[in-house]
Amino acid sequence: MTTDAWYDEQQRLTPDQLQTVSFPLTRWARHGYEEEPVREFLAQVQAEMVRLINERASLWQEVQRLRRRILGTSNGNDAVLFAKDDAHIHAVRILSSAQRTADRYVADAQAYSGRLTEEARVRRDEIMSQAQQHADMLLEEARSRARAAAVAAIDTDGLPPQTEQERRAVQAELAYLRTFSEVYRQHLKIYTEDVLRTIEDWESKERAATREIAPPHEVPARGPTSPGSR
Amino acid sequence: MDIARLKSSFARVVMHGDEVPLHFYSDLFLKHPQTRDMFPVSMQAQRTHLVAALVSIVSSVDDPDALTAFVRDLGRDHRKFGTLAEHYDAVGESLLATFAYFCGDAWDAGLEADWRAAYQLIASVMIAAAREDEKHNPAYWTATVVGRERKAFDISVLTVQPEPRLEYLPGQSVAIESPARPKLWRYYSMANAPRADGTVDFHIRLIDGGAVSMALTTHAAEGTELRIGPPVGTLQLDCASGREILMVAGSTGLAPLKAMIEQLAGLPMPPAVQLFFGARAPDGLYDLPSLEKIAAEHRWLTVAPVVSAERHGGPTGSLTDAVMRSGSWSGHDAYLAGPTEMVQDCAARLAASGLPAAQIHVEDFGWSEP
Repeated sequence: MTTDAWYDEQQRLTPDQLQTVSFPLTRWARHGYEEEPVREFLAQVQAEMVRLINERASLWQEVQRLRRRILGTSNGNDAVLFAKDDAHIHAVRILSSAQRTADRYVADAQAYSGRLTEEARVRRDEIMSQAQQHADMLLEEARSRARAAAVAAIDTDGLPPQTEQERRAVQAELAYLRTFSEVYRQHLKIYTEDVLRTIEDWESKERAATREIAPPHEVPARGPTSPGSR
Repeated sequence: MDIARLKSSFARVVMHGDEVPLHFYSDLFLKHPQTRDMFPVSMQAQRTHLVAALVSIVSSVDDPDALTAFVRDLGRDHRKFGTLAEHYDAVGESLLATFAYFCGDAWDAGLEADWRAAYQLIASVMIAAAREDEKHNPAYWTATVVGRERKAFDISVLTVQPEPRLEYLPGQSVAIESPARPKLWRYYSMANAPRADGTVDFHIRLIDGGAVSMALTTHAAEGTELRIGPPVGTLQLDCASGREILMVAGSTGLAPLKAMIEQLAGLPMPPAVQLFFGARAPDGLYDLPSLEKIAAEHRWLTVAPVVSAERHGGPTGSLTDAVMRSGSWSGHDAYLAGPTEMVQDCAARLAASGLPAAQIHVEDFGWSEP
């Protein structure tokens, strides 16, 4: 089921579709339809009905007008069915339908751009939460190492290193911790840079895409006057 | 003029919904193609505005004061679109042709004369208001972007230099048009009290798919020339009340309230102000550092940040919950700005708690589209 079918002349809603439409079942209990597709479909049906009602009203007026014209000119041979007024009304209708097409194009482009930003937002949240998790992890590990080092320090505290062996062990521990913190700092730096790069990549890609879709200064200002059709 | 007949024929016309403004604009553009350039590519929002304005006019026909005020504002507001007196005749002709078309058989010479007279009356008030406004104000101000600072992922502060100087009251807003999105105007509040150098800040939140907000955040480089319309809006400080002040700002609803805080900072004896500033996530509290700076300098201001989701040190839950939890506000003047839902909810609950309606001042950004 497509959500953008209602405005397309070729794909108008048909009674057949109403008979055969199916909705996905909800994931959990399989006791009902998912609300969103049903709502979309109802909106489609509603738009179609509004359209039909409006069309019927304008056709009815057209019939009335033609009837009056025929009655009014019944004796003349030069019964003109399309006077100047009719041509104007006809032109109004054509322009109106072109305007509707233009409106749809703009709405579609806007929806598309909305989707892009939304995706970017979701992706950004993902990157942020990943980075947060990673940072939490690094911090937690560094903390537990520090705790262990403190415990080790307390254990040896009070009684000064008695043997050369113990002194060397403490020095080794200190050296280890130094290296450890250095490695972690390096690690964190690389990771942060990587995240920043990803974000920049995304930004430039998005910019390029935006430029491709709509060069900001070349938006046609008179779009609706050219009747768009697909 | 048979008002009842005008009303009933109008009711018959509006029954046709969107077809009516669609017919009207097509008729206008066919008869006067040069008017097409005054409108944006997509006319969807425009059609809604037209019908809304017509409905307002027809429904307030029995209240001449309200009607005149509305129509005068409309006339002034149309100057920024480049509307000239001669455009009014063209619009009138197309409006009558549209009404005639949708009234069908019910349309006759009497009805046409009445509608013509009614339209001419309204157009003359609009034109007179525009002429009067011409004496004091330009049709629009050219505002050059002099600074743009990204405060959060989706919120930027745009600083512009309007030419000529823009005179306004803190709490007011202006419509802004970007050259990247011609003919699309969106309302934003001035976020500072008038400065000596005349620059003005706007807080712009990037809305997914929002054409103008995108143009004002991503495409508005320094030097970009925006257009801004005349200051509008009725949210203003009641300096004479002597009451203490409660301010509630949701997201970029902060802008008009911040302008008021700056205005208060210029008074000799400002009343105590409690500001609740709410956002969904901590990084939505985009302007907190600068607010805290003001609060550090001025003891009458207290700032309470409220985050409604996620973990955070401050109070959680909805902004309104936080406001209601924090005590009784019955002796205060309340100023609220932010998303429609938040503003309505907060206003309703303050009213329910006994705060008189006259003391609840509301700015609603609901009508400002992306």
